[in-house]
Amino acid sequence: MPKAPPRPAAHKPDPALQSLLDVHEATLSNGLRVRLLPNPQTPVVSLYTFFQVGSRNERPGITGISHLFEHMMFNGAKKYGPKEFDRVLESNGGRSNAYTSNDMTVYYDDFSSDALETVLDLESDRMRSLRISDATLASERQVVMEERRVRVDNEITGILDEELGTLVYKAHPYRWPVIGWMADIENISRQDCEQYFRTYYAPNNAVLYLSGDIDPKKTLALIKRYYGDIPKGPKPLPVIDAEPPQKGERRAVIRHPAQSPSVMMGFRGPKATEQETQVLDVIQYALNKGEGSRLVKGLVYEQQIAISVMFDWGWRIDPGAIVFYLELKPEADPQKAEASLYAELEKVAREGLTERELQKAKNNLRADQLRELGTNTGRAHALGHYEALLGSWHELTLLPSRYASITNDQVKAVAAKFFAPDRRSVVTLLPEAEAESPSESSTAAA
Amino acid sequence: MASRSRATPKKEKSAASRPLKLPTVTETATSSGLQVLAAERGPLPLVSMRLVLRAGSSTDPKDKQGLADFTVRLLRRGTAKLRADEIDEAIEFVGASVAGGVSEDLMSIYVTTPAEHFGAMLSVLGQLVREPSFPEKEVVRARDRALAQFANDLDDPSTVADRAFTRALWGEHPYGHDVGGSASHVRTFTREDVVRFHRERLGPKGALLVVVGAVKPEVVAAEAEKAFAGWSRTDQLEPTPAPAVEGVAQAGRILIVDKPDQTQSQVRIGGPGYRLGHPDYFSATAMNIVLGGGFTSRLVNEIRVERGLSYGVGSYFDAMHAGGAFAISTFTKTASTREIIDVALGEVAKVRKGGVTPKELKSAQTYLAGLYPMRTETSDSVASILADIRVHGLGDDWVEKFRDRLRAVTPKQVKEASAKYLFPKPPAIVVLGKASEVQKQLKGLKLPISVVPVSEYE
Repeated sequence: MPKAPPRPAAHKPDPALQSLLDVHEATLSNGLRVRLLPNPQTPVVSLYTFFQVGSRNERPGITGISHLFEHMMFNGAKKYGPKEFDRVLESNGGRSNAYTSNDMTVYYDDFSSDALETVLDLESDRMRSLRISDATLASERQVVMEERRVRVDNEITGILDEELGTLVYKAHPYRWPVIGWMADIENISRQDCEQYFRTYYAPNNAVLYLSGDIDPKKTLALIKRYYGDIPKGPKPLPVIDAEPPQKGERRAVIRHPAQSPSVMMGFRGPKATEQETQVLDVIQYALNKGEGSRLVKGLVYEQQIAISVMFDWGWRIDPGAIVFYLELKPEADPQKAEASLYAELEKVAREGLTERELQKAKNNLRADQLRELGTNTGRAHALGHYEALLGSWHELTLLPSRYASITNDQVKAVAAKFFAPDRRSVVTLLPEAEAESPSESSTAAA
Repeated sequence: MASRSRATPKKEKSAASRPLKLPTVTETATSSGLQVLAAERGPLPLVSMRLVLRAGSSTDPKDKQGLADFTVRLLRRGTAKLRADEIDEAIEFVGASVAGGVSEDLMSIYVTTPAEHFGAMLSVLGQLVREPSFPEKEVVRARDRALAQFANDLDDPSTVADRAFTRALWGEHPYGHDVGGSASHVRTFTREDVVRFHRERLGPKGALLVVVGAVKPEVVAAEAEKAFAGWSRTDQLEPTPAPAVEGVAQAGRILIVDKPDQTQSQVRIGGPGYRLGHPDYFSATAMNIVLGGGFTSRLVNEIRVERGLSYGVGSYFDAMHAGGAFAISTFTKTASTREIIDVALGEVAKVRKGGVTPKELKSAQTYLAGLYPMRTETSDSVASILADIRVHGLGDDWVEKFRDRLRAVTPKQVKEASAKYLFPKPPAIVVLGKASEVQKQLKGLKLPISVVPVSEYE
């Protein structure tokens, strides 16, 4: 778990956010952390389980195991065998899903509050005693290969994003896609999965978040009953960030049967815990949130150089990437579009934002935080997200105050540092005539 | 510590039996005739609004498909009093959002705002709808961008497959085109087209404003009057619903949309369903959960779990005002296109002939009833339900009675719904993929096959 660096004590919790977050906390003797947030408004509950593991914890040869493993968590344990997890959950009024990112693997259940004990039984069963069979692994592998085909191989932004990762990162595991390389997905073994489970799915590497129609005292007693006897696991090995410094712009070209060219670029950014991260949030909002934001207004409406523009700044445990994507018109010149984007970024570095833009970004960041907390699933997820990336869910209530204190000088300094040409990697997709798809085995062998 | 027995006595009423109620709704009308529903609801200091107009894509002129969608996007690009950048600033500075959307039957404008800016945002909404100026420059730019988007959409397999499927289902009916239209129609749009559509279709007749959140009903009524007083109804055409749909246009036919670079086929299969508010809703919904709605459905089990043929497969009823479809949507690697269609149709046939087991039905009912309260969790979702109840005549007790009606569905009713909707006649089949390989596989289905290039759907 990353620790937040010491910060000045000036920041105060936001009263509106704090009033929504009456969180009861506990840690079981096996290290499992529990966060309970009662909310009686509707008779439903959301349970999130965050495991501190993602593609960041992988190595070449088993890329994609975090995600493939996430699928395997639905394929049977000791008490509830294959197909039972979802069957029992649904027949008790619940549903479930999960996602894997570079940094974490997150499982969630939404259910009628009547089903609380059943859900804890199901979830603790798979944390305690997952069973992986060769047959279910073989079938799930095919499902994940289809997922890769739909999300990456036949999707332009998927193709660009995958190429960009290998440019931005030379040594860090953020280099490979979360879904993994096709040949690795094909070759991950049952032994790899079992080893992975023992290492990363122990209670001391997990946090439970429940938000909804629950009684915190009774719920904690139930959690102790169902999870208390799961043995603690070894402490997972730390991930070494061996990424060398970048010494100049990096570029790649993809030729692909497409209607229009497009460009995706990534700038090496800070870690989630660094203060610069929140300054980048403000810049992202000012540049890309809403029709009146600088990039939408400038590149889409006024210069009409792009059909759409995306500015993605996703927080990561280790230094992440600030990603831009320009969707262009068929006849567009990608170099010109790139230059227009850089001109906007340089302007921020040189002049900062207007006071009004700065305030607007802060207003929108707070409004979005409130919206995020409008549902049980949003609340439970937010607690987990901030705890995983900032070290404590309490950081969530401090964010409005942190954003409020950000000045234009900080905006200029952060823009100048992170949008420097030497920090960027650029992937350009150039259309080529429609070609027959190559066979996948040759792709995999390449 | 107590034993692991599940027989813990429960004193409180169970969640399943606790009544589910919407907040109290206050109904008023503005002097211009706009119906207004207001429901006060906390605890978040936010307000959600939606304005619903009878101006869906089925009201597009025959040779101007996509005009409703094009118009709603232009509402924000200038009004009698405000320029586009002033509108953006008014909305976005305070952290509010305004979005427009068009379905086959309705045009809707959605607003969410911090509660303290409710009055100002309702005023902006009023101006956007009542007095948009549609500057010529903005019309031209929106058209150029839409045309470029149509071109780029050809690279998105699932979007093109859906577009082809819509046409295969409804053909010449007003539901038979994508809500966004197509390049050949949008290319002809002029400012006059937009002005006329706005004058004839956007008015208070048949319109509904729903406001849910941290605001008092009397404040809603007063602000609505300010925002919509003087909204003229004289030029508005009488809202007419789309004519009833009759069957599925391409029933019993296979359409292959050729995209030779694909390594995967997108598959859509569809036949007739029911209209919104139809009494079969509950029995058909419960049946569909078992067949292809939930994660433990028969389709997911056979296609994903047992055979690893796809990452995603689902069946659904798409209900609109004048009719609807029952459909299956999935995708698989090119080589297994035929297999996935065979398995899907096989599972549909099994339920059509044999219904579902009482245990499956019970599970589907508990699943849907258990999760139903989530639909009342946010002000946005409550506003959506209130609008649906009123627009589609679902009855004011819709939410309160929903779970009881669902639980009352019997195996016999499910059997009837299965026989009625699960492709009793051959469905329309649409496949987007590499035609040279797919066509060989599908010949054995003994249905007429036509192959068209992907550019057909620009």
